[in-house]
Amino acid sequence: MGIDPRVAGAQRYSVDLERPGMLHAAFVRSPHPHARVLAVDASGVPSDCVTLLPDDVQDLHLYGCQVRDEPVLTPLARHAGDIVAAVAAPTAEAAKAAARLLDVRYEELPAVFDPVQAVSPGTPLIHPDGALSAGEAVSIGVRPLAGTNVCHRFRLVHGDLTAGFGEADVVVQQAFRTPGAAHAPMEPHAAVAEWEDGRLTIWTGTQTPFNLRGDLAVAFGLEEERVRIIAIPMGGSFGAKTFVRHEAPLAALARKAGRPVKVVLDRTEEFVTLNRHPSVIRVRLGAKRDGTLVAKELDCWVDTGAYADCGPGVATKLGYAGVGPYRIPHVRVDALAIYTNLPPNGAFRGYGAMQSIWASERTMDVLAERLEMSPLELRRKNLLRDGDVFATGEVMHDVQFERCLQAAADAVDYERDPRGKGLCVLLKGMQTPSRAAISVERAGVGYVIRSAACEMGQGVRRSLQLMGAQMLGCEPGQIDVPEPDTDTSPFDTRTTSSRSTHMMGRALEVAVRDLRASGGERGYGEVHNEGGLDPDTGQGVASTHWHQGAAAAHVTVDEETGKLTIEHLHGVAYAGRVVNREGAELQNEGSMIMGLGTALFEAIEFADGQVTNANLSDYNLPAIGDLPKRFTHELIEREGAEVHGLGETVLPPVPAAIGNALFSLGLELHELPMSAERVLAAVDARDARAAAADSAPEARVPVAVDGQGLSG
Amino acid sequence: MGGGTAVEWLAPSSLEEALALRAERGGDTTVVAGGSFLAILMNQGFVAPTSLLSLGKVQELRGIDVVDGELRLGAMVSHRAVERDPVIRRDWPVLSRAFGLVASPRVRNQATVGGVLADADYASDPPAVLCAVNARAVLRSPRGVRQVAIDELILGFYETCIAEDELLTEVRVPAALGPAVYRKFRSRSSEDRPCVAVAAARSAGRLRVVVGACAEVPQHYPDVCAEGADGPIDDAVAREIGAVYAKRMAPLSDSRGSAEYRRRVVAVEVRRAVEMVGADGAGNGAGREGAGGEE
Repeated sequence: MGIDPRVAGAQRYSVDLERPGMLHAAFVRSPHPHARVLAVDASGVPSDCVTLLPDDVQDLHLYGCQVRDEPVLTPLARHAGDIVAAVAAPTAEAAKAAARLLDVRYEELPAVFDPVQAVSPGTPLIHPDGALSAGEAVSIGVRPLAGTNVCHRFRLVHGDLTAGFGEADVVVQQAFRTPGAAHAPMEPHAAVAEWEDGRLTIWTGTQTPFNLRGDLAVAFGLEEERVRIIAIPMGGSFGAKTFVRHEAPLAALARKAGRPVKVVLDRTEEFVTLNRHPSVIRVRLGAKRDGTLVAKELDCWVDTGAYADCGPGVATKLGYAGVGPYRIPHVRVDALAIYTNLPPNGAFRGYGAMQSIWASERTMDVLAERLEMSPLELRRKNLLRDGDVFATGEVMHDVQFERCLQAAADAVDYERDPRGKGLCVLLKGMQTPSRAAISVERAGVGYVIRSAACEMGQGVRRSLQLMGAQMLGCEPGQIDVPEPDTDTSPFDTRTTSSRSTHMMGRALEVAVRDLRASGGERGYGEVHNEGGLDPDTGQGVASTHWHQGAAAAHVTVDEETGKLTIEHLHGVAYAGRVVNREGAELQNEGSMIMGLGTALFEAIEFADGQVTNANLSDYNLPAIGDLPKRFTHELIEREGAEVHGLGETVLPPVPAAIGNALFSLGLELHELPMSAERVLAAVDARDARAAAADSAPEARVPVAVDGQGLSG
Repeated sequence: MGGGTAVEWLAPSSLEEALALRAERGGDTTVVAGGSFLAILMNQGFVAPTSLLSLGKVQELRGIDVVDGELRLGAMVSHRAVERDPVIRRDWPVLSRAFGLVASPRVRNQATVGGVLADADYASDPPAVLCAVNARAVLRSPRGVRQVAIDELILGFYETCIAEDELLTEVRVPAALGPAVYRKFRSRSSEDRPCVAVAAARSAGRLRVVVGACAEVPQHYPDVCAEGADGPIDDAVAREIGAVYAKRMAPLSDSRGSAEYRRRVVAVEVRRAVEMVGADGAGNGAGREGAGGEE
């Protein structure tokens, strides 16, 4: 193998795209979080520019991957940064300058920025006309609540909650918050759109070429075959480059210009394009005196921002992941995906799991304290084992939670001394239902493997080469893996939820068998995972394949300033069978580092709906100097096991492991990030409780903190 | 770059030429040193200069010299050079350490000594430490040369006393006669700017404590420091100085910490800094620098 093209600077990304006669686009964005566009005056724009105005998109339709609620250009800005017009010019600089000359008049409307407030009576409605469900591309039935800002309600009902809490000797209730976060891939969103004979081609960095094709076909009223998506390798994504983002207004602008048009978003625009869902989660957990869990109730307010995007799916996954990998006979989950006037929130490495795992696993340690039990023992006692039934009704198989948890505990020597240490164990699902197809063809010296699995730095190409080489009996370098192209690549649901190596690996086995059976020239393989959950009961098949993992943290605190030092962080992912060891280890490390940022300092800050830290100086990402003193992880394997996805497994447990380590020191954190300032406030609160207990030893200060103004 | 119109790029190759251009063009052109700060402002659209006066080719501004025991840093000396220069590391280690704590090596290779002072950004590391070691900025124009102390140079948020025809050409630091420390308290990433910065220096019996990143300009209370004039500073004195700094200051709030939080941290970090420089006597030329120097 030669030098990795990414290292040699030879890798071509969507920011590098060039097409003959290409113009450059700039978007005109609303400065207001909620405002009606009254008029757009383009008379000041130079004559060599092409403008895309509201009148130009009259014939286009609303689109959306789970709810069709998003216009190509919006006549009603629903967040600061919503795209209301666009300009194409000979250079990117000229386009940006021309965009500033476009004069837009607005009528400002009342806005709402908090998901709990957005569902209280009398709040302005962000999509007053409701929206149609997208149907086809959706794996879940969407359940909007008419006349509210709720675009989806997911409920899970298992057993009898009232009876369950009736059996409990101890009940704890806690409320938690998580903020929005930026994916912050090194490469921003970029694309080129080009029309030829009424057919649209888009070159773009995307994780979801077939969803993008389908959604753009809806928006432009075309047959799907009239749209072609060529998915360029991404310089990072983490969920940011899913579904339709910048591509819709770009395609409309190219249609009007009659020429190819390119756009590259700047870093500030990235912060209003797609972020992670802020959430408020209330957990009630009941147990017998011996630690047997009997009942759990989760209420989740999930802020999906101005448009639903995949918020319904995130609320669903957040909802069932929050149950945790435990045997609990009585469970109720109520998760609302809620519109607010913040930028849209969508897929983010972990897809909602982090938010509810943070809340649920922190609550486990609060319960353990109330029971005067070791948090490790409490978890061990209740973990799901092979053959157990999960709250969704699924019978669990290949269950490795106890191994993962024990490995994490052992890494930090938890059983010898748990002080300053915290644990987290998690269950997380994979996109279900889903379908993956792949083809193999004999080529000159080897084979060509075609699929729609998108490369974003996670190494899916390498995994396909390694698996293909093993199955086909050749060298990995003899296998060519072209970039996904919806005209030539077989269908795949999407490159998300750590599913590609697992699903494509299985499809590839079928394709190679087909190739052998049919003369050795070409083969085709396809696998389907059936399932899905009933949105009203949460019963069904959440995931055909479970991601299982754990983390342990050891922290020390400067109690005068609240500054945390992570002495040791250990992550554990169940891998089943490792395909690409180096790649798998890098996924663990990357997930843990992202988890550290989430735990310690990442938060998008808003003032009246405006992002106030939309740059990488004010918004901090973890740097190499932020790694824990000891930073370790492991991949758990099992002889004969299938390949398990692991691209995000050890991100969600990191905040809870650190939060529980603080809790072992008496420091109660309920909100992310666990900034030094919040830790210092927790030190003050602990000392105040101790002082109160000293002065009145009989008076117990309640540990549980209810959410502010939450209403069930 | 802002706008579709070309930005004028003036790149004099001598100090004389640079001073002449500056005097001639004044506020019509924006001076660029390393550009690490200006580029952020331009990318975010906060400023859109039509003309830039780059000092990148002016070799006279790149010197690191010691004259009569005084360190002279040219305005275009990079942070990285201050961090790594063997003479500075030996004789002014607190400067090496403080400049070495700025952002990341990528930024430190670009950012300059003159640039960071002329920007007068409240959240930068160098102003507090330069103020604590009694550094002076040299301002030149065709009218002449003047030297100003750091607390005279920086007047407010992004505001200095540099006149429209002047260039900041050099920073002069007197010989270090006693221990000095720089404590950079970061509330977030290791590459973040300080939430609270404390520089403390003892020299010839005098204690200077300067708090940066908490207010418009570096905060320095000579009357409070006078308590630590002679002899070892005991813990009670260090605690008292910290408490008075915290009480007297009116800290700002930003994403690195609220005003109330900063006040708490100022008390702690000032105390720690004073303890570090106070431990080994009056600092009459004995040990040049205190040990530690960062959190």
